[in-house]
Amino acid sequence: MSFSRVVIVRAPGVLSADGAVRGPALARLYEKGLRLLTGASEARDALASIFSPAERIGIKINAIAGRRLTTPPEVSLPLAGLLVRAGIKPRAIVIWDRTNRELKEAGYRLNAAGEDFRIMGTDTAGLGYGGDPLEHRSIASRFSAIQAGTVDASISLAVLKDHGLAGLTAGMKNYFGAIHNPNKYHDDHCDPAVADLFDSAPIKDRHRLTVVDALQVQYHKGPSFHAAWADRSETMIFSLDPVAADFAGGQLVEKLRRAKGLPTLAEEERPPSYIQTAARLGLGRAAAADIQIIEDSI
Amino acid sequence: MRRRRFLHTAAGGGLVLGTGLVPALINLHAFGPDVELSHVEARYYKKLPDREIECQLCPRKCRLGDKERGYCGVRENDGGVYYTLVYGKVCALNVDPIEKKPFFHVLPKTNALSLAAAGCNVNCKFCQNWEISQSRPEQVPAIDLPPVRAAETAGRYGCPTIAYTYSEPTVYYEFMADTAVEARKRGIRNVVVSGGHINPEPLEALTRIVDAIKIDLKAFTPEFYKTYVRGELQSVLDSLVLVRKSGVWLEVVYLVIPTLNDSIADIRRMARWMAGTLGTDVPLHFSRFSPMYLLKNLPPTPVPTLEAARQAAREEGLRFVYIGNVPGHEGENTFCPKCGTVLIQRFGYQIQKNVLKGGACPNCRTAIPGLWT
Repeated sequence: MSFSRVVIVRAPGVLSADGAVRGPALARLYEKGLRLLTGASEARDALASIFSPAERIGIKINAIAGRRLTTPPEVSLPLAGLLVRAGIKPRAIVIWDRTNRELKEAGYRLNAAGEDFRIMGTDTAGLGYGGDPLEHRSIASRFSAIQAGTVDASISLAVLKDHGLAGLTAGMKNYFGAIHNPNKYHDDHCDPAVADLFDSAPIKDRHRLTVVDALQVQYHKGPSFHAAWADRSETMIFSLDPVAADFAGGQLVEKLRRAKGLPTLAEEERPPSYIQTAARLGLGRAAAADIQIIEDSI
Repeated sequence: MRRRRFLHTAAGGGLVLGTGLVPALINLHAFGPDVELSHVEARYYKKLPDREIECQLCPRKCRLGDKERGYCGVRENDGGVYYTLVYGKVCALNVDPIEKKPFFHVLPKTNALSLAAAGCNVNCKFCQNWEISQSRPEQVPAIDLPPVRAAETAGRYGCPTIAYTYSEPTVYYEFMADTAVEARKRGIRNVVVSGGHINPEPLEALTRIVDAIKIDLKAFTPEFYKTYVRGELQSVLDSLVLVRKSGVWLEVVYLVIPTLNDSIADIRRMARWMAGTLGTDVPLHFSRFSPMYLLKNLPPTPVPTLEAARQAAREEGLRFVYIGNVPGHEGENTFCPKCGTVLIQRFGYQIQKNVLKGGACPNCRTAIPGLWT
């Protein structure tokens, strides 16, 4: 029986005392994580085994929570750099989220038209959300023109957070930022909406890689930043299985909660049940017995 | 973020001047530059520990962490304070015949300055204005039209009423309420077109500053509300009762959707409930469905179905039962419930004849309830 591989790499010291990302340590973290994930000898070869040089790659970040709890440029730009080393043209790489305002607040310098990586929100002139809603299972949404048109393949580069409504936000829920009406899917802990959205063609047909940014984990009272419940985990999670990646992220959050004496998400009546729903849809695996977790550190 | 210049024609509108017979488009450039989202503190919410809030405007009672928005998409928790993002941010603005709302017992043959901001607190699969109601405000171009200016605009266009309509006025409650107050200062009345998903406290406050409310009763089964509306029937029924008791003029619309809510038995139960709970004077409109949004697979409502619904409602004692979206049908007319005289003859949104005298039948003197002057 095959397993879904999840690689969890910890890099003590990747964050400075004030929370800034140390570039060299992060580079080593990416290197090790991608190598362990694919078996390649270098990160660029790992990415080259996932993406082809002719493809346009979207890196969907999560910029909703401002500078304190977002995917910062210091984390996304090195990944884009690795894609270039894997043969992708810089201009074919799009780092994006919902709005330009959120990107700027998260520290990004917008670049919608230059030769370098493109960094832009769905609200960039000429983009927006597509015409009629796409109906798929429980969802009916218009999709970001970036996710549905600009890119051929997609990386979910999400921040690992507790979420007051969904229980957890990680790689799959990150794609709520790819639709025009995420607020309509908050009922029932976003279940089955997160799974159904991921199962839709604009997501499922493009998603290739999940990288969960757990450098700093908001393990309680998310999705906004609360210093009292933010842990410097200095970790990143890599998987080609989007469900297994979220499963592992959920385990990390639960572990931190246990360590702080907090009840489980289920005990707080907000379990991230969409992960199991996604597994039932065949999107990946969400049982410990089916997942090979490789933990390492630098 | 700058937004594209905008000219919205919600519900096939555009700006309609005069009696509604001469359509003309308004140049919204005249209303000023494109606008940012508003940042006005919302009413009806409770602050909770750790920068969380609970919205108390509608029955959903969204409990939100910092940076999160409610189901409506237009109210946001920012640092533990809840804000409306659409205060004065008008995304649809037309002068419509009031019959289009529809209000059939409110100032016939007058126009209502009809406006909307983005957002809705339900998600009807048959919404005719989904492009504004189911979008976030930053996705919908809008103009800045604060309350005083909205009231002045109604006066400038000779509208005796402002209609809060197209999307769901509940979600732009603060803007609606402040505009209503400004309108009344100028002798302009306020009419609200709502789905009725609003909590009693804000609704009760609203009834003190508006003159008429039309509520869409979208079905008479909880299952329909859960599946096709994403709402709950009981809260709508509670709103109907509250409005009726308040004395604010009330009309009810029931959109008849083939195979989904067209059971005559259910319609009869609904009419019986209305007659027994709200009284027999509340007008009930059975509107014809047209395929749109997420229900494009269904056909338009057959006219005989509408006629059967109307007959059932009248048999249950309702005195003013109409058929909508079937121009020329006799069910568009207002009849004297006592002698049968045609009091107001309509064709679509046009008034062809109105023989009411002092709000009464000229033939038998029966008083006809409504806001006639």
